Amino acid sequence: MVLVSSARDYINRMLQDISGMKVLILDSQTVSVVSVVYSQSELLQKEVFLVELVDAISMSKESMSHLKAVYFLRPTSENIQHLKRQLAKPRFGEYNLFFSNMLNTTQLHILADSDEHEVVQQVQEFFADFVANEPYHFSLNTPSNYMYMLPAVIDPPNLQNYCDRIVDGVAAIFLAFKRRPVIRYSRTSDIAKRIAQEASKLMYQQESGLFDFRRTEISPLLLVIDRRDDPVTPLLNQWTYQAMVHELIGIKDNKVDLGNAGKFSKDQQEVVLSSEQDTFFKSNMYENFGDIGMSIKRMVDDFQQVAKSNQNIQTIEDMAKFVDNYPEYRKMQGNVSKHVTLVTEMSKIVEERKLMLVSQTEQELACNGGQGAAFEAVTNLLNNQSVSDIDRLRLVMLYALRYEKESPLQLMQLFNKLASRSPKYKPGLVQFLLKQAGVDRRTGDLYGNRDILNIARNMARGLKGVENVYTQHQPLLFQTMESITKGRLRDVDYPFVGNHFQQGRPQEVVIFIVGGTTYEESRCVALQNGLNSGTRFILGGSSLLNSKRFLKDLEEAQRIARSSTGVV
Amino acid sequence: MATRNRTFLFRRYRDALKSVRVPSGRSAVSDGGAMIEMADASLLKQNRSYAPLSTHDPGTSSVGTPMMGLPPAWVDVSEEIAANIQRARSKMSELSKAHAQALMPSFGDGREDQHRIEALTHEVTDLLKKSERSLRRLSAAGRAEDSTVRKNVQRSLATDLQSLSMELRRKQSMYLKRLQQQKEGSDGVDLEMTLNGMHSRSEDDDFDDFGFNEHQMAKLKKSEAFTMERDREIQQVAESVNELAQIMKDLSVLVIDQGTIVDRIDHNIQNVAASVDEGLKQLQKAERHQKQGGMVMCATVLVIMCFIMLVLLIFKAILF
Repeated sequence: MVLVSSARDYINRMLQDISGMKVLILDSQTVSVVSVVYSQSELLQKEVFLVELVDAISMSKESMSHLKAVYFLRPTSENIQHLKRQLAKPRFGEYNLFFSNMLNTTQLHILADSDEHEVVQQVQEFFADFVANEPYHFSLNTPSNYMYMLPAVIDPPNLQNYCDRIVDGVAAIFLAFKRRPVIRYSRTSDIAKRIAQEASKLMYQQESGLFDFRRTEISPLLLVIDRRDDPVTPLLNQWTYQAMVHELIGIKDNKVDLGNAGKFSKDQQEVVLSSEQDTFFKSNMYENFGDIGMSIKRMVDDFQQVAKSNQNIQTIEDMAKFVDNYPEYRKMQGNVSKHVTLVTEMSKIVEERKLMLVSQTEQELACNGGQGAAFEAVTNLLNNQSVSDIDRLRLVMLYALRYEKESPLQLMQLFNKLASRSPKYKPGLVQFLLKQAGVDRRTGDLYGNRDILNIARNMARGLKGVENVYTQHQPLLFQTMESITKGRLRDVDYPFVGNHFQQGRPQEVVIFIVGGTTYEESRCVALQNGLNSGTRFILGGSSLLNSKRFLKDLEEAQRIARSSTGVV
Repeated sequence: MATRNRTFLFRRYRDALKSVRVPSGRSAVSDGGAMIEMADASLLKQNRSYAPLSTHDPGTSSVGTPMMGLPPAWVDVSEEIAANIQRARSKMSELSKAHAQALMPSFGDGREDQHRIEALTHEVTDLLKKSERSLRRLSAAGRAEDSTVRKNVQRSLATDLQSLSMELRRKQSMYLKRLQQQKEGSDGVDLEMTLNGMHSRSEDDDFDDFGFNEHQMAKLKKSEAFTMERDREIQQVAESVNELAQIMKDLSVLVIDQGTIVDRIDHNIQNVAASVDEGLKQLQKAERHQKQGGMVMCATVLVIMCFIMLVLLIFKAILF
């Protein structure tokens, strides 16, 4: 059960049986699917000499009959229309159509009807319908990700699209693993329930033949949960390498765009940050910021040594050795400058926004009690001139989530202060967050203060002390995973769909977070899998969040909700 | 890794629809009939296939199949390079065998092996150089439309060439090292023996005259000839290393560094899209310029002239 390799296997199989020069045609979604797991040079090795987008390919009329077209598309109606037009006037020698998900009969009919020249060689479904960012973490890059916060009545067709995309993606995951899971969802979330039920209908009724694999002793588990069960994690500042890069600069499909961050040389404006290709990143992506500095220093020292040994070339042997090692050397050089650039940029931001100070309070709010002290700390930071608007907003949100019920008066004071301090703040956003993800709406025990056992555990941790103030927060997912491995996930909170129940502990678990995952959770899953506890976890989400994206979704949802209530 | 093949169903639908559809000429011959996989291409491929192309058989060609045509000329060039690379590869394996043989202890003087190795090395280097030259031709010729395809073909071939030349160099240097080790071993013994001899003789030499005797002269000549030969050999090796380095340098421009942003598929697509957009913008600008420039100006002038003439005409009619 490794996502990256199964996606790669699909693409390999797609390309290897077709001999000769090929052109690979993708749509805007499958581009991400392919590019996170496959590289241009690997494509060239498979004799794919042209990669194009499906809408661009239909613009040009010029014939290229010496190329064979390999289409890899999502089965959307737009793509089918593009194909239809293309097949009416074929440009390429032959057409091999691969779809990333299930085609329905109508679509197949349309395609068959438009293939008058009989150029289509094969039509296949290859279920690589997920962006495998890391071995155990996928995202669906769902457009209009704010949909999950809206009630069902506001925009039914779009919500249906949103759900369909997620159900498709989750189904593809299980098809890729050749498994049929039992499905659970978090009780309080309507959207999680809906997705779980639709997935179950698809897997057990509509396409039960397709999902009829060899039975394993214990079925894997699909757990659909809602982002709003844990709104705290995407609001926190991160201090581990990967998560921090995403929080401060932004990662998209394992790429970091430094273009608007500052002036860099041309080849450093956009860099790749993939644990598959970069060994330094792989071994350091979960380390915290301080340790990263040390590791980078070591890497630079190593590099300097190599560079020095390359400088004194005296004999022919030295020369030969240098030429032999040159590609390696260049790769190393690129890597070093990439990581140095990233870390420099981040420490600049940390300095500018006083993130050390802010983050300490954030972590206090997320992990420890003490309302009075927290109020004071937040008020102080709101008064601090050098704290940026977005950080102020997040602090108030974290405070509101934590002390929602305890003292409404002080909460009101903070709202007013925030409104007066930050001119860009849209009033009511924090209240909207509370309405969406307040204590009554959440499943699970986010702050560990609902039952005696958790309270006791929290106190024990408080006595033991913490290693690092900035990384003491554990996402709710950690607790959820722990209860799954111990077989203690409560049926009341996470009910099963239909009459497919789980006996015993599952060995394979896919946790899907509607609304998006964070890299902090991804790290948590990777560490858990590293323990070899007998249960493997895979984490997936509708998108990959940092605080900026989470707040944007929240704002968008608030805007739409407000405008629609205004109409009604 | 489940997959579902819908080809069968698709074919069934297609056939069903074909019988329904009005027979609109025999526009559907292309499937299978006119396509011939080049059979000899499969002989060339070892672990990768380059050549198989669907070529057009002139015998069965019908006018109703517009999409089948001869591939552009650069395809031939790329095939030639691919064939060259294959040849070089087989020569390389021969070479490594010859290396192994030459390193084995034998009673002969190994001159024959030496010659063979030299010839083979030369041949491989030649092939690589030739491929590299034609590779450059690949980008120069042809239409502008499929330039991306050509560039990619070039890249792929360049990557191959580079890895091949790397391999060659590695083999060469390994061979040289092993050879030197062998030589050193025997030289060491030699040295000791001569040293011993010198020792014993130096005592005699004290009594001899200081001039070189005949024996010594012969020895000197021999060693001189030996040094000359050594010198030549070293020169040769250095030359071939130089040549390879040159090829490497030329190729490294073409080869993609793995793990960098250039190696990303989406990055490449976006770049193409961006440049297409830019082109479109330029075109529109040009169009606007053109409109503003010639035609519109001309028309305005003509209209104005018309008016003036008309006025003149009216004046003329009124006055006279």
